[in-house]
Parts: sequence; C-alpha cells; structure tokens
Amino acid sequence: MAFEFRLPDIGEGLEDAEIVTWYVSPGDVVERDQSLLEVLTDKASSELPSPVAGKVLKLSGQEGDRIKVGDVLIQIEELDPTPPRENTLQKNMEIEDTTQEKTVSNIEKQESFISVVPKVKASPATRKLARELSVDISLISGTGSSGRITNDDVRLAAESDERASQPPSPVVNIESSTPIQDRAGLGYMEPGEHNIKGVRGVIAKNMSAAWSEIPHIHSLDEVDASLLIDFRNRLKKVNRQGASKITPLSIIAAATVRALKKYPMMNGHVVGSPAEKIIIPPSVNLGIAVASDSGLLVPVISDANDIDIFELAERISELVELSRDNKISAHQMQGATFTITNYGSLGGRWALPVISLGQAGILGIGKIEERPVVHDGKVEARPTLPIVLGADHRLIDGDVSEAFKNSIMNDLLEPLNLLVTE
Amino acid sequence: MVVGEVSSSVDLLVIGGGPGGYAAALNASRLGRKVSLVENRFMGGTCLNVGCIPSKALIEIADLAHLGSNTKDLGVKISTSVDMSKVNDHVKNLVTDLSNGVSFLLDKAEVDVINGTARFTRPNRVAVESEGGHLEHLEFRDAIVATGSSPMTLQNLPTNGKTVVDSETLLFQDSIPDQLTLVGGGYIGVELATVYAKLGSRVVIVESEEQLLPGFNKQLSKKLENGLRSLGIGICLGYKAVSFAGNELIIESDKESSSIPTDLVGVVAGRKPNSDTVNIVESGASLLSTGHVKVDSQRRATEHVFAIGDLTLGPALAHKATAEAKVAADVACGISNDFEPNCIPMVVFSDPQIVTVGIDPDIDQHSEMNLNSFRFPFSASSRAKTLGDESGFVNLVADEEGTIVGFQAIGKHVAELAGEAALAIETATSIDDLIGTIHAHPTMSETISEAALGVAGEPLHISGK
Repeated sequence: MAFEFRLPDIGEGLEDAEIVTWYVSPGDVVERDQSLLEVLTDKASSELPSPVAGKVLKLSGQEGDRIKVGDVLIQIEELDPTPPRENTLQKNMEIEDTTQEKTVSNIEKQESFISVVPKVKASPATRKLARELSVDISLISGTGSSGRITNDDVRLAAESDERASQPPSPVVNIESSTPIQDRAGLGYMEPGEHNIKGVRGVIAKNMSAAWSEIPHIHSLDEVDASLLIDFRNRLKKVNRQGASKITPLSIIAAATVRALKKYPMMNGHVVGSPAEKIIIPPSVNLGIAVASDSGLLVPVISDANDIDIFELAERISELVELSRDNKISAHQMQGATFTITNYGSLGGRWALPVISLGQAGILGIGKIEERPVVHDGKVEARPTLPIVLGADHRLIDGDVSEAFKNSIMNDLLEPLNLLVTE
Repeated sequence: MVVGEVSSSVDLLVIGGGPGGYAAALNASRLGRKVSLVENRFMGGTCLNVGCIPSKALIEIADLAHLGSNTKDLGVKISTSVDMSKVNDHVKNLVTDLSNGVSFLLDKAEVDVINGTARFTRPNRVAVESEGGHLEHLEFRDAIVATGSSPMTLQNLPTNGKTVVDSETLLFQDSIPDQLTLVGGGYIGVELATVYAKLGSRVVIVESEEQLLPGFNKQLSKKLENGLRSLGIGICLGYKAVSFAGNELIIESDKESSSIPTDLVGVVAGRKPNSDTVNIVESGASLLSTGHVKVDSQRRATEHVFAIGDLTLGPALAHKATAEAKVAADVACGISNDFEPNCIPMVVFSDPQIVTVGIDPDIDQHSEMNLNSFRFPFSASSRAKTLGDESGFVNLVADEEGTIVGFQAIGKHVAELAGEAALAIETATSIDDLIGTIHAHPTMSETISEAALGVAGEPLHISGK
C-alpha cells in the first residue's frame, strides 16, 4: 500500500506552496525523516522530511509547480528492510511483466489492448529531445496548452538536472532567485529565456502590485549620526542581555517604533484598489529588509511596540542572521506593518524604496559616512546618516510624513529618548 | 551444440523479413551496422503476403463487386460479376510487386539476405537451416528477432487446406464458396466475412464471446453487428465450434447445441507469437505465459537480443512492429529510444469500418481521469451524406485539461481518420488546437473538429449535447 504524503500546513493561513527542489526521484529508497523536497511559501522555504521509510513511487509535481495544502506531493511504497537493487533491465522487464500479464491472460484478450492511457503529454519530437538530454519526461509538467510539455520545458528540466547533479552547497536551503545566480555570481544570468520562479517570482509579483497600486511619496534627509554612534558604543558596554547586539540599525528601528506608536497612521495601511478602507493594526510589526543569496527577504519583529531597545536589537540580530543563512521560515516573515530597508549596508546612500502592499510606509537608510556639514557656522566632517521615508499618499500626506520622519530624526539626535519606557 | 560446428560472424542479425524485421534491417543499416537478415518464407512477412495487404486488396474488390447493391437509390444501375482467377492474379501480382520492393530496398541497403529458418542454439548464436537441410551457424553481436505470429489452430477443427482453412488460405480461394462459416469474430473474421458476403457467399460468424470484436467498445461492435447483418451475414454469439463433418459445423452454447450447413470453415481464432520455432529462450530471453517474449521498453529481451512485433505483447499489428523496429535498431546502434507510444491506432476494414485510437471510456472507465467525450453522428455530416453513409459516428475523448486522449469511429469511410486522431493523441493536442485547425469542407475529417466543438460545449451542426 503506497503512502501518500500530502502538503502539510506549514505556515499560518497558507493555502499553497511552490515545489523548489526535489531531493528524491521515483525509485529512490528513502529513510524516515530524510528530506524529500524543499517547498517555498510566501518568501520562506522549508524542507519536508519523509514521515515513512520506503521507496518513492511517484512525485506529484514538478519543480516550480504550486501545490495546495492537503494535495498529494509524493507516493512512497512503505518498505521494511531496503531491498537489494536490481539492474535496470531486469527491473523494467519485471514491471512490464506484472502490469501486462495481469491484463492479458490469453491471446484473444489482447485486442483489449487497444484502449491505452497516453503516458506523456508531449509530442514524439519533444520526447526525443528529452531522451537526448537524458531528462525523465514523466517528471516534467508542461507549460503548453492543456499542460502539454514543450521543448523549452524539457530544456529547462535538463538545466535544473544539471544543477541538481552538482554537489549541494552546505548552507543554502532556499532556491536562489534564479537558477543561474549561484553559478556565476551576482547579476549573472545566461543569455536566453528564463522562467520566473521561486523567490524571484514572489518578489516580482509583490513589487509589481505594490508599485502599481500605491502612489508613493518620498522625503529625503540627512541626520548627524555622531550621537547615534556614541550611543551605540556606550550601550554595547551595558551589562544587559541584548546589549552586545545593539547596532545603528537597531537604534534606528527603536526610533521608528517610537514614531509609529506616535503616528499610528504610518503603521496602518489602505485596503482595496484604489482605496476602500484604512486598517490601523493594534501592534507594530517591524519588517527589516535583508539581502540574502536568494534575494530580498523581510523578517518581521512582531509586537515591536512592547519591547525595549535591547530586546529589539536581539531579535533583529537573530532574524537577520537567519535570513542571511537562508534559514528563515514563512511565519517569521508575515504580518509586517512597516519596513526598514538598509541599503547602506550595500554601500548605498540614497534610494527610493517601494512600499510593500499592506503597509503605508518604508524607511530607507543609507550608509553612515563622514560628510561635510555646517556646524556652528563652520563646515565640518561629521558622520551623517541619509534617511528616506516612503509613504502611501492615499493615506499619508506631507504633514504626517514629515512629522513622522522628524520624530525619528529627533530621537536619533537624542538617542536617550529611546531608553524611556512609556 | 554439435561438436566442431563452424560458425561465421555477423554484426547485426535480423530474424524475420516482415514489417518489423525488414524495417529494423533498413534502420540499422542506415545507422552503419552490417546487417544480415534471415527469412524463411517471403519477404514482407505475413502482413504483406498473407495478411493486411492481400486482405485489403480483396476488400476493395469485394466493394466493387458489391457496388450495384448500393447505387440503385442514387439512380445508377450496376451489375457485376467476379472472376476469381483474375482476382487472385491481381492480388498475387500486387503482393509480389510489394515484396520485390522490400527486397530492392534491402539490397540497396546492402543487407545480406539469407533464406532459411533461424533457431537460437546459444545466447549469441543461431543455426540457420536452409532449403535442403543445409545448416549454417551464425554468431552475432546483436540480434533483432521479428518472427511474427501464426494463425491459432483449434484442436477440434484441424485445418486441411480444403474444407477447413486458416485466414491465409481464405485470401486465395479459386472460387467463391457458396457457404462460408468463420470461426472467430475478431477483426480478421469480420473483415473476411465482409469480403465473402460482398462476393456473394452465405457467411456465418461463430464467436464464443457475447460480442463481435471481443475487447472492443460494445457500442461499436453492436453497430458493426447490425451492419454485417444487413449484408446478410449470420452471426452466432456465445457459441463455440465443436466439430465439422459432412458439411455441418456443430456449434454449442452454454444452453444448446446447433449445426450450420457450410462448404467451407475458416478458422480465424487469433494469432500466436512465433517464439517457439525460433527457440528464443536459448538466447536467455524469457517468455510470458502467452508465449510472448518479455522485453523492456527498449525492446531488449537480453543484453544483445531484441524482440519486436507480434513477438511482444500488444496488438499484433504491422505498424506496431515497424515502430518497435525503429526503437530496437536505434538502441542496438547506441541511440537512446523507447517504445512508449501514447496510442497504437487500430483500424478494422469491415463494412462499416471501425477506428479506435487511445482511450475508449466504454472499455476502461479511467474514472480518475475525469474524461469528457462527445459523439458526433454522421447524420449531421454533409460529407457522410454525400457518401451515402449516415449511420456512423465519431467519438472524441479529452481529459479534464482538454487534451485529446481517445477517438473511436465507425462508418463506411472512417479508416483514414485514424491518422489525424493518432497525431492528435500522440502529440498531446488539445481540444482548442483541433477547433483552431481549419478542416476542409466537405470531408469526413470535419467530423473530428465538430466533435471537438462538442467536447468544448460549443457544438455547431448538432444541437445541444
């Protein structure tokens, strides 16, 4: 009796997941808890372990397919001891023997052979291509009309097979945003057409919707970061859990949370297109955009309004690390009410960041560098922090936007405010 | 093994010169192998010499002889007479012509043709016995075995070449029998029944199953039964032939026994694979309980021995053998290939003709596939009307995604529709593809696009579903 492994509910309210990588093929013998595949939900990936030991009979989807929660992912024939491997020829013949001998008990019955089930939705030419590229066409799901497998589908499968046959890198467990990047570095992609899938597909969809729905306004400013740096250096020495994790980013985050508490509209968002309702959430869930090997990930510090700067620093540090190691899970990236994006860590000074759907604003922070500023009538070199506030103009006008930004800037100029608990 | 036997080496040995064997030889030769082909009877095999080709030639002749019966209502009066010796000459010439064509192609491909009967004596060796008992031993690197099948015999009705004959003998009769009883209602039986009924014989079919064409869609076989009855053919279903003596064929069912007066009995009870005469088990190959050779999808029976055609499971059809020949030749020559067709079209040249390709939901439910089918009757086809055939239909089957997976048709002129149906199924064509393909008017092929419109819920020349 084949065991049917169905896609479990692996995140809050998720309806489906994308198959990123199959780690097993039909015919493989798997052990209990051996990873079967990697799936991607929202922006996080998970490896799903096998609940049983046995032989893989059938994979119910192709890499790139979306599978609904509860749908069969894989069929496994439960086995006790691992059977000895037979050679392929013998195995094939056994299969043919048992399946066909059952249907044909005598020669007259052979005429019932006329009704056969088509095995593969692909033309003979495409099947030939698959043979030439050593691709198991029965595992491909087609992108052509009515799910027909095209030559491109086969070529793509051949490419991903080639990738799969390379030794796996020990840390990466989220599929890269494109199949190509991990081969030849940032920004590299082979000439030709590529399907958009995985994290790249999610980012593309979300960004496109955000940019077309939200009328953005951006306000740019520079803050003298001298006290901010001083504050960070002194806080780090405080004997308190989380102190060692304090960074300029966590101080800016604390200032942002304070401003969000002061101006709840900035923590809200508009629903409906173009605009039907304004939702103001009861808590501040702060998203921190992090560049990872897989693309942009946004881990969320939920209920950031309830924690002090030390705990905030600790949680940011933890989530950023998980993201950079591509170990973040779906529920850790859900429900952000406001986002901070730190392109300064990439060396950037100014950018106009895109607000995520379901939020009203985003704070962009550039690189802190010594820049010439006028201080007491003199031009001085002082560490300055470029900040940019992006806001949804459906909800936020210039006055709120400036007041919000000024609140953050004031706290950064006088970081002691951030130690005050209300 | 004979002590001291001397063998000669051959590169690729093909055993059998039928549609499987000669195609394998031509393919392998084209791919650079030195091919030797052993044939013990006639080049072109059963199909070309004593099967599909002469039977289709006879069917055309029978149609011509029978033409007058269909034309009265059209205002044309035709009377015909048949000269069987000239008919035989025509059929034999046609067969010889085609057989010579095969020999010509093999010659041009530099295939070494050996006349004789091959028998495996070792895994890589055969003994070829030629006429006069001369024995030659051939040691091969690879062998493709395509020895085909033979008519099944019935113990209680041994053929004698005169009053009890097999299908091969029935194709070359000196005269038209007054009474002919065919034991077996499979496709060979119904084709020969059609031929001799149209030539003027009183024909009876005895079939042990409860339908003609056992294994086929019951609606198709019922419609065929009606068509054959209207040609005057008697049909006894559920009866077994017991014995033949004194121009009486005794038949019996579960309940009763009866007798049929007949001059000639044709035993057409199917075909059995010729795996025993070639002694293929000596090569290391295994046989199934049906006598078929066990092969993998590449048609390998052992590492160096391939089996194709009627020797392997599946319908005993020439086009299946030819397709397997390409696979086996490719694989033997190091090119990856598999015999995994989406469909094998089946055509019965009875009157009416029957075509079935791919899934037939009336035979196999495939409830998991959520099939959707539409039957377009020829009463709504202008071409069928001009051809004087309104009784048939085409039935198109699609899966839930709209991919064509099956096709069945019955009617006077449906045989040629097999091509479009097979192309559609083999290439995973969708209903929308068929609808979007302009079909010439007025042709029978239009009925396929009409059926596609029906599956899509947009029937044009027929109201509703």
